[in-house]
Amino acid sequence: MRAMVSDSATGKEKETGHAAVSNVRGTWTAVAAWAVPGLGHLMLRRWTSAAAYFVCVGGLALAGLLMRGAVFGPSATDIFDRLGFFADLGAGAFYFLAHTFQSIAPDVAHASGDYGTRMFATAGILNLLTVLEAYEIGSGRRA
Amino acid sequence: MAAFAIVSNHFQAMLVFAVVVSVAFAVLTKRGFTEQAKYALWAFLAFLLVAVGIGWILYPFSQ
Repeated sequence: MRAMVSDSATGKEKETGHAAVSNVRGTWTAVAAWAVPGLGHLMLRRWTSAAAYFVCVGGLALAGLLMRGAVFGPSATDIFDRLGFFADLGAGAFYFLAHTFQSIAPDVAHASGDYGTRMFATAGILNLLTVLEAYEIGSGRRA
Repeated sequence: MAAFAIVSNHFQAMLVFAVVVSVAFAVLTKRGFTEQAKYALWAFLAFLLVAVGIGWILYPFSQ
């Protein structure tokens, strides 16, 4: 009986250990997926998904910037601007390099600039979805 | 560059948006190339249909 209890306790410890390792792996994958779109899936050897996410998120973000869309900063005071900031931040590297890609100032007075703002925000939200998927796969919750 | 050179009107901007989001949704939700391609096409057409439909409904209010 004692041996059985001991075995079961060891099994539980092993299970907890595996879960902790999986969570750490999932977290690192999610951080990588956020920092560079597709990198999390690349770490998980999901080559096609990684390429698709990089092209989709990167393409949408670049299109938004080239259409002179606005990128919200952290100092936004309005609630919608703040939401825009969190959406934009989701694009990871593309958010931090936005000013490198966008040589001309944003122009939201025209429709193309307004579309560009939405496209960049959509790129951020899409990337956040890929981050969630990368976390789930990395932590073993999804095949 | 005035704006994104390839995107010169509203419809083209919507096309770019619809293509990219459809492909991303397909890869996120489906497994296997055939399933993904089918879903991407379906989502793209749905985007187009809804956008043109809403545009058509709202057209009288823009006059």
